[in-house]
Amino acid sequence: MKVTLLKSQNSGKEIELFIGPQHPASGHMRFIGRVDGDIFTKFIPDPGWVHRGIEKIAENRKWIQIIPLVERAAILDAANMNIGYVIALERLLDIEAPPRAQYLRTLLCEINRITSHLYGFGIAGIMIGSSTFYMWPFADREPLIDIAQLITGARLTYSYIIPGGVRRDLPQGFKEKALKALKYIERRLNNDYFRLFFDNPVTKARYKEVGVLKEDDAIRLGIVGPNLRASNVKYDVRKVEPYAAYSELEFDIAYREEGDCYARLMVRVEEIKQSIKIIRQILDKIPQGPIIHKKYEKLISLKKLEEYQKTGVFGLPAIFATLRPPAGEVISRVEAARGELIFHIISTGDLRPYRLRMVTPSFRNIVLFRELISGARVMDFPAIYGSIDYFPPESDR
Amino acid sequence: MEVINLILSLLLHPSIFVPLIFPGLITILVVIILLIWAERKIAAKIQMRIGPLYVTRRFGGVLQLLADLLRYMFAELIISKDSDKLMFIASPIIALTVTLLPLAVIPAGSLLGIELIALRTSIGLLAALTLLSLTPIFIIVMGWASNNKFALIGSLREGYLMISYEVPMYLSALSVAILHGSLDIVNVVNNQQRIWTALINPFAAFSFFTSMIMSTSRFPFEITESDSELVAGPYTEYSSILYGLVMGVPYMRLYVFALLFVDLFLGGWHPTIDGFSSIILISKVLIILLFSVFLRSVYPRYRLDQAIRIGWHSLFVLSLISIILSLLIIGFGGISGC
Repeated sequence: MKVTLLKSQNSGKEIELFIGPQHPASGHMRFIGRVDGDIFTKFIPDPGWVHRGIEKIAENRKWIQIIPLVERAAILDAANMNIGYVIALERLLDIEAPPRAQYLRTLLCEINRITSHLYGFGIAGIMIGSSTFYMWPFADREPLIDIAQLITGARLTYSYIIPGGVRRDLPQGFKEKALKALKYIERRLNNDYFRLFFDNPVTKARYKEVGVLKEDDAIRLGIVGPNLRASNVKYDVRKVEPYAAYSELEFDIAYREEGDCYARLMVRVEEIKQSIKIIRQILDKIPQGPIIHKKYEKLISLKKLEEYQKTGVFGLPAIFATLRPPAGEVISRVEAARGELIFHIISTGDLRPYRLRMVTPSFRNIVLFRELISGARVMDFPAIYGSIDYFPPESDR
Repeated sequence: MEVINLILSLLLHPSIFVPLIFPGLITILVVIILLIWAERKIAAKIQMRIGPLYVTRRFGGVLQLLADLLRYMFAELIISKDSDKLMFIASPIIALTVTLLPLAVIPAGSLLGIELIALRTSIGLLAALTLLSLTPIFIIVMGWASNNKFALIGSLREGYLMISYEVPMYLSALSVAILHGSLDIVNVVNNQQRIWTALINPFAAFSFFTSMIMSTSRFPFEITESDSELVAGPYTEYSSILYGLVMGVPYMRLYVFALLFVDLFLGGWHPTIDGFSSIILISKVLIILLFSVFLRSVYPRYRLDQAIRIGWHSLFVLSLISIILSLLIIGFGGISGC
């Protein structure tokens, strides 16, 4: 449909360029652009190449099985996908996790936010040709993945957050290891990254005043996350509608006024710093207490309860397999790494949800391709793509 | 015995020795194998990786490129149906040939008492630059013959870049010729016995070096084959051994340019060792080459229009300044007055 639309308008002066899905920089998607000289006169994103039908699959899965399913939307950002779904489910069940569990959830979400932003930096780096800035952030995710592994036992898809709490408590000596990892990231971010990439004259030339998104356009198009905040809109679900332990923690909304590619990267840098600040606060003031709602503590066998009290590993009670939340309709909003994530769940009191709607941040940011790249130069396409941190699997679901 | 002597004297004759052995084909092959290996190893070191390792593990994977070349040899050569078949096949081969031609007029010191210049003329510098400017034309032809949109855009970029780097490059080479009062590269080198041109006229050296980086598409000017939007630019459709050739051409070009750069600006084979001056020359060339490929680990790439602006706004002005500087130095009594 889109293809014929472009062809009928072809005057012969411009050439039609199909970028992807088999292209070094397209990711799992296709772009259709028309090039006049060095300018894209028209640019249309064509997503859907990694559509897995998560929403439809969810209608055929038990409530607890949906946790690993929604995580697959964005593997790098699994904890934030996880918490979004679990908060919605908890609203259906009308329970709330104990304070320690809320802090642990926040901790994992912030670790994930940092790793997701670092991944975005790596992609942004290779898009404009800096192979070193491709490797560095990817490698520097490792210490953070390690501390996430200490908490959850998994490296990427944790399935850590369950209705009523979390699966495991912090292991021994976690604080020292976490502080060491944070110190490392802080040093790399403040010194090495700026020296190599962010202060590099070539990077600045490629990013500054390129792909400018104005404040009213950002609001009109419904952009979310760091891309919105880079256009001088101070909107963050963590502040607007605090969930988990965010209301008790101190942090600022990272924002920029310029709205160009460089501002979008700088907002992410600032967000990593804020996340580090949040994690430090959590490590200092995490309350003692249970990690799972009292109601579920009684549901496991005595042997498992003993093990839980000794090691802090709760696991899943068998009763979760036949979980039947009451009929109803709920919505949850969380701030995932790439922006606002919305879950809308309709339950009929059955073993499975009647409908699960998942609105991911990348899906809402996809319109930026059309808005920012139409009229830009051909070589600005990778720069803008890298700067908006678009993740096709998250968008296609 | 006489036959061996005959073969030896034939082999050691400059017009055979230069294009075939040093600084010609065999040296180029060795230098490129080492250079690409070094490029990958340096980048790997900076990027916290190991780099090529599995081919000749004991020597750190130094023969990786040779293994890759062998693989290219046996890969299927795919020529798309709608391409201009003759030009598609011929242009990489011609590009390779014309890239090597300037070696005939660029002096490379002396080895075992043989003066290593195949063809010494009074306009050696002019001839070298002219021959060097032939390769981009065939790169443009490659993109056109491929009948691929990415390749076409890539060759257009090569064309745009070519006009913006060649003018400053020629002007800065001209300023060297003015300074030394000769277009014969041997004279230019011998004039630098006391002080290198790069120290007298740094503007010319900088302008020439940057144009050289631009013309061999090294970072930050790797724009023609910029893979994040053009796949591989003019080389998109090439496969098998033809891809091996087109991948090698920019490196050979870099080598030839580095040789010329060392001759013009870094004193060639001075300070010299009698009979083995080529070793001095080639070590300088290797340093220049390593620096050129090291840039990959530091810089992203400029945008096309920014690179063209650098060519006309900065390098062009710098090369004009370098000509004025050369004229002033000549006016105040020449290089011996320094």
